[in-house]
Amino acid sequence: MSDKNQTQTVEPQALDPDFVPTPDFDKFKPSRSSLAARKRTDLLMRILIYIAFVIALIPLISVLYTTVVNGVHRFDWYFLTHNMRGVVGGLYPYGGILHAAVGTLEITLGAVLISVPIGIMTAVYLVEYSAKKRLHKAISFLIDVMSGIPSIVAGLFAYAMFSLILGPGTMNGFVGSVALSILMIPTIVRTTEEMLSIVPVDLREASYALGVSKSRTIVKIVLRTALPGIVSGVILAIARVIGETAPLLVTAGAISSTNFNLFSGRMTTLPVYVYNEFQQGIASCPTISKFGSDDFGLCVPGIRMERAWAAALVLIIVVLILNAIGRLVAKIFSVKTK
Amino acid sequence: MRHKHQYRCGYMRESASQCMTQGTPQNESLVKVRSKSWRAFIASVVAGACIFSLAACGDNTPSSALAYDSTHNTWASEKLTPLTGEFAASGASSQKSAVDAWIVGYSSAQPHISISYDPSGSGAGVNAFLTGAVSWAGTDAPLSQAQLQASQAVCNGDNAFEIPTYVSPIALAYNLSEYGLNGNAIQLSATTIAKIFNGSITMWDDNDIRQENPEIASKLPHIEITPVWRLDKSGTTRTFQTYLHQAAGDEWSSEPSETWPNSIGQGAKGTPGVVMTIGQAQGTIGYADYAQTSGLGTVAVKVGDYYVDPTPDATAELIANSTWNKDAHKQGRYVLDVDYATQSEGVYPIALVSYDVACRVYPDKRDATFVKQWLSYVLSDAGQIIAQDNAGAAPLPKALRNQMLRTVKTITSASDSKSSSGSEAKGRSDKASQHSTNVQVR
Repeated sequence: MSDKNQTQTVEPQALDPDFVPTPDFDKFKPSRSSLAARKRTDLLMRILIYIAFVIALIPLISVLYTTVVNGVHRFDWYFLTHNMRGVVGGLYPYGGILHAAVGTLEITLGAVLISVPIGIMTAVYLVEYSAKKRLHKAISFLIDVMSGIPSIVAGLFAYAMFSLILGPGTMNGFVGSVALSILMIPTIVRTTEEMLSIVPVDLREASYALGVSKSRTIVKIVLRTALPGIVSGVILAIARVIGETAPLLVTAGAISSTNFNLFSGRMTTLPVYVYNEFQQGIASCPTISKFGSDDFGLCVPGIRMERAWAAALVLIIVVLILNAIGRLVAKIFSVKTK
Repeated sequence: MRHKHQYRCGYMRESASQCMTQGTPQNESLVKVRSKSWRAFIASVVAGACIFSLAACGDNTPSSALAYDSTHNTWASEKLTPLTGEFAASGASSQKSAVDAWIVGYSSAQPHISISYDPSGSGAGVNAFLTGAVSWAGTDAPLSQAQLQASQAVCNGDNAFEIPTYVSPIALAYNLSEYGLNGNAIQLSATTIAKIFNGSITMWDDNDIRQENPEIASKLPHIEITPVWRLDKSGTTRTFQTYLHQAAGDEWSSEPSETWPNSIGQGAKGTPGVVMTIGQAQGTIGYADYAQTSGLGTVAVKVGDYYVDPTPDATAELIANSTWNKDAHKQGRYVLDVDYATQSEGVYPIALVSYDVACRVYPDKRDATFVKQWLSYVLSDAGQIIAQDNAGAAPLPKALRNQMLRTVKTITSASDSKSSSGSEAKGRSDKASQHSTNVQVR
């Protein structure tokens, strides 16, 4: 069959150079039954995809719902503005998370300050300077290895390093920042690399054509164009590390009072707070003691679970706020196109 | 002017104490004026500013129950040497609730310090102590000879010592709520308990259980017994096995260890995990700290001719009947030889004894002062009451505590022991004995 078609189309072309072949569209027209089959397949796949979407949403909604329902009870102004100093068992000052919120924000900020410059500069080197060099392969490989490091190993690394430098048992917020930055760097390098490599080569060439130096082109053209993507990459990296428990448990520890100094003294963070509260279980209340329940409020045996849920809710809200800020930043700095 | 001062506060650690003295009135004003909305707004702005300025903001005013307690305690009748800054301790997770309560009680006398207790486990805690990372450690097991040797490196050439500070009744908790049996305690002897946990008894209406519970024998359901045990290494597991090993005779042959020896029933992580697992299914039984078992049934354990409920007081009796380990005592250590197989009347026989490890001589004066004050508080009446109320601990008998306090009073630092001449040392010991009599007064 195909041989025959070929000879038919080739022949007129050979005779007339101006001949333009027009395909016979009717031949390709789908039959009625195949149309119906396509629609059925379309419907089937559509339903399957919707179901997959709903299944993927179930855990998310379930987590959010459970956290809000359990956490909202203890989530109030007192909880947000007080720490755990002076809190005993289930007795009245029910305590709060000020110290943990401060710790989480400071340690995460420290990690961002360490890992963003390193991550972005690494990505710039990989994309702009080192293409197809041996070092490029080595760095790429190491970044891949790094992204597979379990978080507790990063924590132990930071703990061991500071123990060697500053004496045994050095625990402070900055050690935690270093541990988290180890987890952040690969994420930032990978996303930034992607973002830089999709910046059109035309832009760079246009810049070079105007006599702009390479370094200035990278700073003013390439990074500027990729900024929204880089910002969302950084936010993804933050979201990746802000909920880390194990490395912070090892490096930053936990303490009941508020500590603002990142470089000295232990710092509680929200995930560690949740872990500690859950770990301790039921709070015991004075029964035999003459000080039974006091005038300011009853002794709550389940207070630790309530605090853990409320702190988890705060953590989710913090992540949401950071996300919103990130999107806003990305929107403000994005390149305006008309 | 004030604003400027606050600014200075936030960035200089040295002025932390000033920050704290400022913090209290602000927080109080926050509580008082909450009714008036505009004032509340100002207060909230002040609190917001405090986030960027004060080093100690957000502190809670401790419960009035505790405030009342602290005015009546006599543990610190002589003026305490004021301390500032942070002190770290780590060790057994079993002590965590008690240590948290002690931190609050002790901090009311020393408002400018913060203490952290890392519940990383006995082994990790002692290891941290042996590297000098923490000033004292909590442990469920007494120190080994190797650990004692190693302690000389951090204790200025002297051995470390341990004292029992936290004794917790371990209850056998069960769940038969659907059969209305969580209220009245099921009575079991050590042999029966061992048979349940080694799988010889599998049903709740087994003859052995019926015979020990004549009053509720007809109500015992024909359902399977699910023993629940700790998956993780635990001093609680070791204690419970030691009890079975000593009291149940042939029924429990395996040597006590921190891990559970068989896989009958179900494992759960941590005491909260065990309690949760028991609470979720009918017919379960497991061992957990008594303070954690509210809402579940607890077994009355046969001692002598009687069945004894787990209570702090009955457990205190067990400690009162125990003796110091002689070998350890010669080294100046306080290790309890608990007689789990006791037949004395009114004694609850299963209790976890948790120790605090400290140095006799600290290289650093600040550490020595802190540990001395801390252990004196823990062993005081005030310390024992706060731990009983808020962690379900059994109070240690007074006679034992006074013995230990004498050793605690001798804790000193390297610089002290070098500089002090004979007369000064005598003066100090006089002062110390005066202090200990003050503690006894209560």
